[in-house]
Amino acid sequence: MSFQIPLQAQLNNNHTIRKHVLLGITGQDFTLIAASKAAMRGATVLKAADDKTRQLNKHTLMAFSGEAGDTIQFAEYIQANAQLYSMRNGIDLSPSAVANFVRGELASSLRSRKPYNVNLLLGGVDPITLKPSLYWMDYLASLAPLPYAAHGYAQYYCLSILDKHHHPDINYEQGIKILRMCTDELKRRLPIDFKGMLVKVITKDGIREVDYDDSARIDCP
Amino acid sequence: MDTLVAQYSQPMFEKENHGEDDQMELYQPAPSLSLKFAMPPVAQPSAWLRAATDDHANPNCPIKIAHGTTTLAFRFQGGIIVATDSRATAGNWIASQTVKKVIEINSCLLGTMAGGAADCQYWLAYLGMQCRLHELRHKRRISVAAASKILANLVYSYKGMGLSMGTMCAGVTPSEGPALYYIDSDGTRLAGNLFCVGSGQTFAYGVLDAEYRYDLTEQEALELGSRSILAATHRDAYSGGFINLYHVKEDGWVKHGFSDTNPIFWKTKLEKGEFSNVTSEMV
Amino acid sequence: MASGYDRALSVFSPDGHVFQVEYALEAVKRGTCAVGVKGKDIVVLGCEKRSAMKLQDTRITPSKIGLVDIHVCLAFAGLNADARILVDKARLEAQSHRLTVEDPVTIEYITKYVAGVQQRYTQSGGVRPFGISTLIVGFDPLDKTPRLYQTEPSGIYSAWKANAIGRSSKTVREFLERNHKDDMDRETTLKLTIKSLLEVVQTGAKNIEIAIMAPGKPLEMLPVEDIEAYVKSIEQEKAEAAKKKTGRTPGTGSAAILSRGPDE
Repeated sequence: MSFQIPLQAQLNNNHTIRKHVLLGITGQDFTLIAASKAAMRGATVLKAADDKTRQLNKHTLMAFSGEAGDTIQFAEYIQANAQLYSMRNGIDLSPSAVANFVRGELASSLRSRKPYNVNLLLGGVDPITLKPSLYWMDYLASLAPLPYAAHGYAQYYCLSILDKHHHPDINYEQGIKILRMCTDELKRRLPIDFKGMLVKVITKDGIREVDYDDSARIDCP
Repeated sequence: MDTLVAQYSQPMFEKENHGEDDQMELYQPAPSLSLKFAMPPVAQPSAWLRAATDDHANPNCPIKIAHGTTTLAFRFQGGIIVATDSRATAGNWIASQTVKKVIEINSCLLGTMAGGAADCQYWLAYLGMQCRLHELRHKRRISVAAASKILANLVYSYKGMGLSMGTMCAGVTPSEGPALYYIDSDGTRLAGNLFCVGSGQTFAYGVLDAEYRYDLTEQEALELGSRSILAATHRDAYSGGFINLYHVKEDGWVKHGFSDTNPIFWKTKLEKGEFSNVTSEMV
Repeated sequence: MASGYDRALSVFSPDGHVFQVEYALEAVKRGTCAVGVKGKDIVVLGCEKRSAMKLQDTRITPSKIGLVDIHVCLAFAGLNADARILVDKARLEAQSHRLTVEDPVTIEYITKYVAGVQQRYTQSGGVRPFGISTLIVGFDPLDKTPRLYQTEPSGIYSAWKANAIGRSSKTVREFLERNHKDDMDRETTLKLTIKSLLEVVQTGAKNIEIAIMAPGKPLEMLPVEDIEAYVKSIEQEKAEAAKKKTGRTPGTGSAAILSRGPDE
C-alpha cells in the first residue's frame, strides 16, 4: 500500500486564501498588526467584521490567514498552549519564544498526514527588553524576524511602500501613517473588497485595538 | 487469604511506570467528542468518496448525495428568525419537496441543514445529544457558542474526508442573548447577525440584505425571512417546496408554519405586483 | 487488623475500608492548614506557611496557593509534590475547556474535575491516591457569587461558606462555625480568615499567606505588612477582651506575641 503525500505547492495557491490581507509594522516601541475584516467563502462575503487575530499573552498577538478551519483551529491551539505556559510558570513566553514554539508546531504538523495550512504574522513587545518584534511565518513553517511584513496579494503592493517609507525608529503616528499608505493603495488597486482592516497595536502596556477609520473612498488616479 | 492479596497486589509492582497516556486515560470526564468511524481502506477517503458521489463529473456515479438548498437566519431586536426551503435534490432529480431543514436541537436551539442531508441530520442529532449531556453535567443550558464549537470541532476532525454541510446554529441563552453561528464542513465557524447558506444563498442575500435592519418588528422580520426564501425558491432550481419558518425567542423557539411556496408566490405576485417577469395570462 | 489489605490500593478490607485512601487522609491531616472563607462579594484563601530555614530563599519557594486559571484559585493541604501534579492537571483542563467550548471553566466544573482525578487514583492499579485535600475558590464567568469548594483524596467534593483543611482543621472549622456570618464585607472576611488561622498558627503574620479573589479581577496576594497589621489589631482585641475578663492588665503577654513577628 502506498500513500500519496500532498504536493506542497498545491496547498497554498488557493485564491481565496491570498485575498486575505495581513500586514505588520514595527516601530521604536510598538508593533502594528493589521488584518482584513472580510470572511469569504467562494463568491460570498459571509462576515465583514471578522477578527483574524488571537492574543497569545499580554504582549504577543498572532494574525493568521489560510485554509478555512485550519486557521482558527491552529491559532486557538497555540493560544491555549501559550496561556497554559503562563498559568504553569507564572510568567509569559517572550515573543521570540512564542515564535519559535509556533514554528516548531507548524513544522511538525507539516510532516504529518494532514498539515495545517496557515500563514502567520506574530507581533510582540518583549516585556523585559521592551524591544518590539515582528515575525513572518508561512505555511511551510519558515520563520523570519522582520521590521515589516505582509501576507497574500497585499505583499505585492505594500512591501515596496514599506521598503521606501519604513524606518526602525518611527513613532506610533508615523507607523499609522505608513499603514494608511498601504491600506489606501490596496483599496486603490486590489480588485477585491476586503472590507477594511482591523488594526491592533502592541506596546509595553499590552495590546489594544486601534480606532482605524477606513471608510474613505480611494480612487485610481 | 494472604495469597489472594499477593496475587492482586503483584501486578502493581510489575507495571509501575505509568506514561502520560496512561495518566490521560485515568480520567476522562466524557467520551471523546469525536466518534470513531471506519474509513474506507484507501489512502485518501475524500478522493475516493468524491469519485463515487460526484454526479457533476460522472452522471452515473453510484451514490447520489442530496444537495441544493436555501437556508437563512438573522438576528434582530426580537430574537432570531430562521427560515428554509424544503426541497431535496439528488442531481437533477427532486427527491423530496417536504424536507425538514430546520432541526430542533432542543427547546431553545435550532440548527439548519444545507449540503449533505444525511451528514446534517446525523451530526445535528449528535449535537443535540451532546447539548443534553452538557446540560446534565453542568446543571445549566449550554451556550450557543459552546454548542456551535462542539459541532465545528467535530466536523473539523473529519476535514478532508468528505463531510458536506453548511449549517447555522441559532439560540437564545440568558448569558449571551440571541446568538447565531455559521458552521461548515471546512471547519469554519463564524458568529454573525445574518447568514444565508446553500445553492440559493445569493438570491436570499439579495432580498434580505436590502431590507434588513436590527430593529425590525417581529411581523416585519417573519415576512422578510419568508420573502427571502421565496426569492431563492423562485430563481434557484435546487430550492423549492415549502417555506419553513421559525422564530427563536428568549423562552424558546416558536414555529411559524410550513407553508407551500406556490400559493405564496401567486399571492405575492398578484397582490403586490412583484415577480413581473412572470405573466399570469396566456399571451 | 489491616493484615495485608493496606498494601494493595484496589483491595477492600473485609469491613469495607480502602486503607490507602484513609492513609492519604492522614497525610492531609499532617499538612499545613489552609482556610477558605466566602464574604459578600469576595472569597479569601488563607494558608499556614511552614517556617523557612535560614538559608532558604523564600521569594522563589513555591506557595501553597496556586492559580488554576485567571478566575480560579486553589489551596491545598497535604503532600506538596502530589499537589503540583494535580494542579497541573487542573490547569491543563482549564485551558482545554476554554479551547473546546470557548468559555472559561465554572468553579464547580473544575472542582468536579479535580475530585474526579482524585477518585480515579483510588480505583486504579499501580497508583497511589493523592495525599491532598484542596480548597478551590473563584467566580464563575460573568457571575458575582463567590464560590468555595473542597475536594478530598477519596474524590468527594463539597461546597462551603467557610472551611479549613489540614493540621488542626477541626479547631479552625469550629472557630469558623462560631464566627462566620453571611454577607461579610472585605475587611471582616479578611479578618475572620486571619483570625481563624491564628487559632493554629503561633508564629504570626510571617507564616500566613492570604489570597483574595474578586469578580473579574486577578488574584490578589495580601502583602505581609497588611497581614501584620491585621494580626496586630486581632491581638490587641484579644488582649482587650482578656483585660475585660480578668480585670488585669495583660501587658507582657500581648507584647511578647507582638515582638515575635519582626524578630524572627
